[in-house]
Amino acid sequence: MLTKDLLRVSRRGGSYRPEFIGHERRPLAARLIDVYSDHVDQPHRAVDEAVEAIEREESDFKLVRGLAALLDREATFETVTPLPPERTRRRVFEAAEAVGVATTEEREQAFINAADELAVGTAAVEESLYADRDCNQRLTAFDSRWDPDDLIEQYNLSLAQTALFDATEVAVTSDEPRKLISAIKRLGLMYEINREEQAAGPDERTVVVTGPDRLFRRTRRYGTAFARLLRSVAASTEWELRAAIDDRGTERELVVTDNDVVVPGVEPVAEPSYDSGIEADFAARFSSLDLDWELRREPDLLETGTSVMIPDFAFDYRYGEFRVYFEVMGFWTPEYVDKKLGQLETVEDVDLIVAVDESLGVGEAIEATDHRAIPYTGSVRVKDVVDVLREYETDLVEAAAAGVPDELQPEADVIELETLAADYSVSVDVIEDRTFPDHRRVGRWLVRPSVLSTIKAELSVGMSFADAEAVIAEHGPTDASAVLAAVGYRVEWEGLTGGVLTKR
Amino acid sequence: MTVRLVFEDGTLRIESDRESDPPLGGLPGVEADPRSDTARAPAQFYAPIRDVLRELDADVADAVLTPEPLALATSYELRDYQREALDAWIDSNRRGVLELPTGAGKTVIALAAIADTKRPTLVVVPTIDLLEQWQRELETEFEVPIGRLGGGEQRVEDVTVSTYDSAYLRADELGDRFGLVVFDEVHHLGAEGYQDIARLMAAPDRLGLTATFERPDEAHEAIRDLVGPRVSQLAVDDLAGDHLAPYEIRRIEVELTPDERAEYDEAQGTFVDYVRQANISFSSGSDYLQLVKRSGNDPAAREALLAKQRARELMMNAANKRHQLARILDRHQDDRIIVFTAHTELVYRLSERFLLPAITNETGASERRETLERFREGTYSRIVAANVLDEGVDVPDANVAVVLSGSGSEREFTQRLGRILRPKDDGGRAILYELVSAETAEERVAERRR
Repeated sequence: MLTKDLLRVSRRGGSYRPEFIGHERRPLAARLIDVYSDHVDQPHRAVDEAVEAIEREESDFKLVRGLAALLDREATFETVTPLPPERTRRRVFEAAEAVGVATTEEREQAFINAADELAVGTAAVEESLYADRDCNQRLTAFDSRWDPDDLIEQYNLSLAQTALFDATEVAVTSDEPRKLISAIKRLGLMYEINREEQAAGPDERTVVVTGPDRLFRRTRRYGTAFARLLRSVAASTEWELRAAIDDRGTERELVVTDNDVVVPGVEPVAEPSYDSGIEADFAARFSSLDLDWELRREPDLLETGTSVMIPDFAFDYRYGEFRVYFEVMGFWTPEYVDKKLGQLETVEDVDLIVAVDESLGVGEAIEATDHRAIPYTGSVRVKDVVDVLREYETDLVEAAAAGVPDELQPEADVIELETLAADYSVSVDVIEDRTFPDHRRVGRWLVRPSVLSTIKAELSVGMSFADAEAVIAEHGPTDASAVLAAVGYRVEWEGLTGGVLTKR
Repeated sequence: MTVRLVFEDGTLRIESDRESDPPLGGLPGVEADPRSDTARAPAQFYAPIRDVLRELDADVADAVLTPEPLALATSYELRDYQREALDAWIDSNRRGVLELPTGAGKTVIALAAIADTKRPTLVVVPTIDLLEQWQRELETEFEVPIGRLGGGEQRVEDVTVSTYDSAYLRADELGDRFGLVVFDEVHHLGAEGYQDIARLMAAPDRLGLTATFERPDEAHEAIRDLVGPRVSQLAVDDLAGDHLAPYEIRRIEVELTPDERAEYDEAQGTFVDYVRQANISFSSGSDYLQLVKRSGNDPAAREALLAKQRARELMMNAANKRHQLARILDRHQDDRIIVFTAHTELVYRLSERFLLPAITNETGASERRETLERFREGTYSRIVAANVLDEGVDVPDANVAVVLSGSGSEREFTQRLGRILRPKDDGGRAILYELVSAETAEERVAERRR
């Protein structure tokens, strides 16, 4: 975070956009890092002057100062002095009081008296007098963790945080909702889930974050808490934060995403982490199967009363917009079980499967909350889950099939069944039952009879298989054997490498 | 039927478990909060809400304040006008503002109010020096540990003194800790952010102290809502002669040396040139603000601002001011002298030149306390301070003050300062010196370049 006077934002076209910097600023960043490394053992004042010299050369002094402010925090400044300054001052002021200093001669005299009493030379006294003021402290160590690129990243994060000081409300989406919610609670903030229906895909759920007093006024009181929240949010991989900014009375919107800001030194987690071995184990086994369902981890925030529940997984149906949530309820404390059951009872209306450790004996209680329960011992059996998913699938296929006409007349001369199925957003099974008045079914392909005639005309007995394959491929189908059969040829194989066409 | 009141981060969370309870939405300040599915109000409405519920004879489970009476006593004898002010506040249901001129002893009245209320109390003050002063007074007066928020310490006790800044930052967390809040220099509470202190605290009893209640920006309207009405008003004239000391002002104008003059003209010229070329008229304060804004991305504007700053510093630091100060210090060898300037760097330069103990916003709490204490008891007879000793601070028994100002525009501060001076025991009048730079300079540069 920077001080607000160092904030750089663009309000072009009514927007409110922090002026993030990129690699083009690397030379400036490097230069400032050098200023600090080169000034070890120098007073703070000298560092400030060197930074000011750079400010004068740059068109944007706030940028220079902002970068320097970040480096300043990486530096150690200490009082380096022959005598403890506070004690020295006491002696000097007492001596001055006795002398009654007005002229420079009287001043010298007071220093001599004080030095005598402290049994040191006057130079040591003069040097120590205000050696503890910030500007006189020395830069004793500068162990920068940052190279120029890190400094730029740190700057962009700090700049976005500073912009949030004036925020009255933020809305966040994140691929790590669990961390988001726990950060919100840790910071003493409150949240609501905003659920927006999407034209395609699952509903989009945004976490709207405010502070308690927001109910009564648009207050900037929670700005620093939002800035801290950003740091947690930015540590995840995919996120977006929208903030309402009170820009001196004008409301503006600030949007920051993972494209703008990362947390330096924090590598985005490539491998998902799991709460328990049971979940990790299930994810690994499920993903190895080739099913019509895609597994997603910690997919969403579901509202339960005024709280949220974050299911462990969701299964997204590949051939349509349908999502089933999946929660693994392991063996844990009675309080945990009660809390979970409470959540299941009040959670919003979604499809939810719960795998429940048999020893808990709460399977019936779960079914009573209108969710599917799958009991397990030791580990969750993938087959049990797949069985439930198949039931959904049957329903989905039926529902989808109902929307597909009995006779299909695709416009293309040649089309693969799979492509046609995708056009209708159904699985191939649905398509296969239909009739195709304009096409002949050739293997996994649909081909117009006229195309088949053309192909037939271009083929002749004795043609090599490779040539025939090329002719057929030119017209679209990749399944040469099926096409040959359809137009009355077969291949007489010669050795292992090739063959020629003969009449069937 | 029970209405439950709980303090939550500066707000009151209000729940009822039966539909037969009074409708919560009708209570003062209360609104429905979908986030918690309860009713909620800013904590300042605690007392009014309790009053309404009491009238409705509702069953209330109140977990907001834990009322533990404090045994506090004060040994001060109140003067008649102080007693009247205190009674007026008590009669106003312990809510309201006392308007009293500096030197009328408002601290004494507040101590009596705290002792009379016998509840955990937070005293909110605008400066570090007032923080020190209140802490000392409270420690002397009451036999309980005194907490402190500000000036590098964060310690909460049943009686605590805090800066406005610390109180602002911690109001939502400490709002259920105190039954009485005293706002010293209460006009500060008019500032938008500081209002949160009064809004987010549940304390039913509130006392404001100020020398000037009415403000041109109408902020006193907000204070009336948050603390209470003005319940007592006393003008300076009511106290004249009796409690306040007369003093004499001596204004000394100094010229820049020829070298300083040349440097000044150069810097001032740079500034004036830019301003003319950019067509800024400075007919209002906002023109200056505009220049500051421009300096963000216009290097020439920034250069102009820096030049102006250099010119001002030259003016402030004029060598002849130091010569004049040397003469004053020499002339008043037997007096008690406070030297003031608004500029921290100048304070240190004067401290190093004249070996005067210094107090600025950089001075640590313990050294600040010690320096003031040593000045009070006479170990030091002179100190130099940045204007941090501004409002309402009880500067003990100085009879000579020297104010080094840029161009003599800090009139209001000087007047306030005059009031805290005391005559010497032998009856000699207190003196206030004002060292200002001759004001012709800027006009001259402007003319020459025309």
